[in-house]
Amino acid sequence: MAQVRLKNIRKSYGNHVALKDISLDIESGAFFTLLGPSGCGKTTLLRAIAGFHQQDAGEIYLGQQSIGHLGANKRNVGMVFQDYAVFPHLNVFDNVAFGLVQQKVPANEIRQRVLSILETVQLGQLAKRMPHQLSGGQQQRVGLARALVIRPKVLLMDEPLSNLDAKLRVDLRRDIRLLQQELGITTVYVTHDQEEALSISDQVCVMHDGVVQQVGSPWVIYNRPSNRFVASFVGANNFFALDPVGESRVRLMGQEVDVPDVVRGRGRIVASVRPEKVFVNQSLGGQGWQFDGVLRQASFTGRELQLSVDVPGHGLLDALTAPSESMVALKPGQSVRLAFLAADTLYFAEGDTGALLS
Amino acid sequence: MTSRLPAARIEFWSVVMGVSIAVIGLLLIWPIAQVLVLGFLHPETQTFTLANYAKVLTHRYYLGALGNTLIIGIGGMVGACLLGIPLAYCTARYVVKGRSLIATLAVLALVSPPFIGAYSWVVVLGNNGWLTQHMKALGVALPTIYGIHGIILVFSLKFFPFVYLMTESALRNINRSFEEAAENLGCSRLERLFKVTLPLVFPAISSGAILCFVLSIADFGTPSIIGRDFRTLSTIAYNQYTSEMGGPPTMAVSISMLMIVMSMLAVLLQRHLMSKRRYAGSLTNLTVPKVCHGAFGVFVHALCYAIVALATLPIAVVVYTSFLQTSGPVFTGGFGLNSYARVIQEVPDAIANTFKFSLIATVLITVAGGLISYIIVRRETRLSGLLDTVLMVPYVVPGVVMAIGFLLTFNQGALDLVGTGAIIVLILFIRRLPYGVRATSSVLRQIKPSIEEAAISLGASPARAFFKVTVPLMMPGVIAGAMMSFITAINELSSTLLLYTARTATMPVRIYSAVLDGEFGIAAALSTILLVSSGLCVFVVLRFSRSKEGNFV
Repeated sequence: MAQVRLKNIRKSYGNHVALKDISLDIESGAFFTLLGPSGCGKTTLLRAIAGFHQQDAGEIYLGQQSIGHLGANKRNVGMVFQDYAVFPHLNVFDNVAFGLVQQKVPANEIRQRVLSILETVQLGQLAKRMPHQLSGGQQQRVGLARALVIRPKVLLMDEPLSNLDAKLRVDLRRDIRLLQQELGITTVYVTHDQEEALSISDQVCVMHDGVVQQVGSPWVIYNRPSNRFVASFVGANNFFALDPVGESRVRLMGQEVDVPDVVRGRGRIVASVRPEKVFVNQSLGGQGWQFDGVLRQASFTGRELQLSVDVPGHGLLDALTAPSESMVALKPGQSVRLAFLAADTLYFAEGDTGALLS
Repeated sequence: MTSRLPAARIEFWSVVMGVSIAVIGLLLIWPIAQVLVLGFLHPETQTFTLANYAKVLTHRYYLGALGNTLIIGIGGMVGACLLGIPLAYCTARYVVKGRSLIATLAVLALVSPPFIGAYSWVVVLGNNGWLTQHMKALGVALPTIYGIHGIILVFSLKFFPFVYLMTESALRNINRSFEEAAENLGCSRLERLFKVTLPLVFPAISSGAILCFVLSIADFGTPSIIGRDFRTLSTIAYNQYTSEMGGPPTMAVSISMLMIVMSMLAVLLQRHLMSKRRYAGSLTNLTVPKVCHGAFGVFVHALCYAIVALATLPIAVVVYTSFLQTSGPVFTGGFGLNSYARVIQEVPDAIANTFKFSLIATVLITVAGGLISYIIVRRETRLSGLLDTVLMVPYVVPGVVMAIGFLLTFNQGALDLVGTGAIIVLILFIRRLPYGVRATSSVLRQIKPSIEEAAISLGASPARAFFKVTVPLMMPGVIAGAMMSFITAINELSSTLLLYTARTATMPVRIYSAVLDGEFGIAAALSTILLVSSGLCVFVVLRFSRSKEGNFV
């Protein structure tokens, strides 16, 4: 059953509509991520659940309880902030104990619970430290412990990793996920980092312009994006137009080819193929298309080789391949042959949020 | 700093360093050392003794004054907090109409001469004050302004802008997430205020509060005008000094040391409290002031305006009084310019002296302050660190004490300056130099050395880079600092009162004696001239400086 249920949430600021009729069910124990570019409404939605924004319309349920009109201090939801918000005038212990003191938990129980959660977030040795003596990563662990120790019904996290440097971000991301699974706590997580969203979540909710675009598992979001916005925002992608030429033929990057079955009779549409599905100087193992182009740029990142190829009649097409010595030896200006399978191609209706056609 | 500096420039800054140390040694260290030593000398035999201090610390007369000073210091500080913190909270957290007017009025109250407050409250609530008289006609006997509560009232209303301005800017710079986190963890509005918001701005509050304490215990004009028989350390130090004329002022000096020790303890206490707290402000996620409606909105506005109205009442009273028609010292009813005419006839020198001395002192402070702050900020050596620390001293040394030190130092031979204008210029200079240094160094700290280095890498010589890049960037801070120095200089009383002669009397000195003589018209006219001058400087600062009210604290 759903732990967090949002029904028809609306919120606007003056003329700007931040949330347009959002309804979501978040399963108990799920790691649920709100993903989208800045201004998409993800933070507004999270803050509405926390109670920092009052929604204009709609209802919020935590389990069976309607919390939409409770003050933020009465909701019993844990919140982890982007800028940590670790109280600088209190030491680590007192920061973590803050919510328990508010709940008037007996002192010895507070002590026990705080020390135990500090062990869990690997800060057991630092209970007496002041926040300014901690690194950013440690401060965010304090923030996490402080939110978890009150045993909230749901844990809210607002871009908790975005102020940390890259390596630390990945480490803490892993720890957060392990801890979340161990505690089985329902978590709503906000991020604009699509890789982070895919790697950490049970369910990803992609938002754009105050509207939910798609909710699904990371696999579904990446491989079966429901519309063109999701396909372009999550992961890298190549888009190209299919222009109808007569009844059964379309123009695809300068070539006239047979219209794929799924889009027959749809008129002008847009197709996409992920760069890692583009083969370079390799023969196709199935039905698909081939193009000749000129290499513009190659960048070798160790794990992979990224190629940017100018295809006549289209423009630049990106390909991502496993690096080999012969591939890395390719120079800009050289001709290369690109190919991809029809099966790896997705088709969308026209427009920024044109729906997936299948 | 860049590694390759022309030799001439190094020498220039070394010379600046040497001259700074010599000047500070002569004008600051030596006079205070004299005061310090004199306190340990027997008044007649000139031998070492602890008797002076023993007397000060055991005699009821002195202990009473010590206790009184503590009471008015703490009273002024608490009163200033009670006015300043709520005002700051209202203007920082709610949309208050006319916020900049409120800030400007608070600044005006701050820069008006301290004794104007005392004198104006006498005009309003003194034995013959108009409110007292009016209420008496209605059959209501108002409590007298004279006495300890009057002093505390005047101090609270005079010094609260320090607490207000510091706390307000701190409140505005609090990261919004802290308060949200507190709310998320179960705090109500009120709990949040006391458990998170106020502790977060405690450094600012305590800085403002300590400043109020130090200024309250050092103030001489207010307790001497409305204290009546209420003795404080600063009034008895002054009285002791004037009665010890001829002999060495050992008792005055011993009392003075007590005041310095109190101020220093207060500052050290505040530093100690602050050392455990290092909060970096965040400028990214700030609280947005809330619009408040209905009764609460009316309450917030009423509170804000009531506080600044009370604080600026003395200014209004002074200006109003200055335009009352007089005949000699007597108000004859109606309006007129008699008071101004008498000022011009009787004490024209005071006006000329004030502006002459203050202008010279300001120029000196600006030049020296700019050079010294460059040394402190950009050439971090042990010596420049020492310079920075020594410049803290004038903050805690009351004007009366500094004046006694000057009289002990500059009284013979080539250094015999007693009775000259130079001694007044010098005391204004040394007392306000730290403020000038602080104003420019805070600007300088915000100018990254890389900006100067960029100019050098583009081909400018280091000197050219300094004058073409750094100096223009420093100018707003330098101008604001100069204006502040000028304002404090023209309003200076506690030190000049011991140093003036008939030829070198300044406006504040004349106002003080006019008030004591009951010449309220002259006092009001002179005060108005001071107020207008201060107000013009405030206008310049607000007009040309980016951090606005921040310059005044």
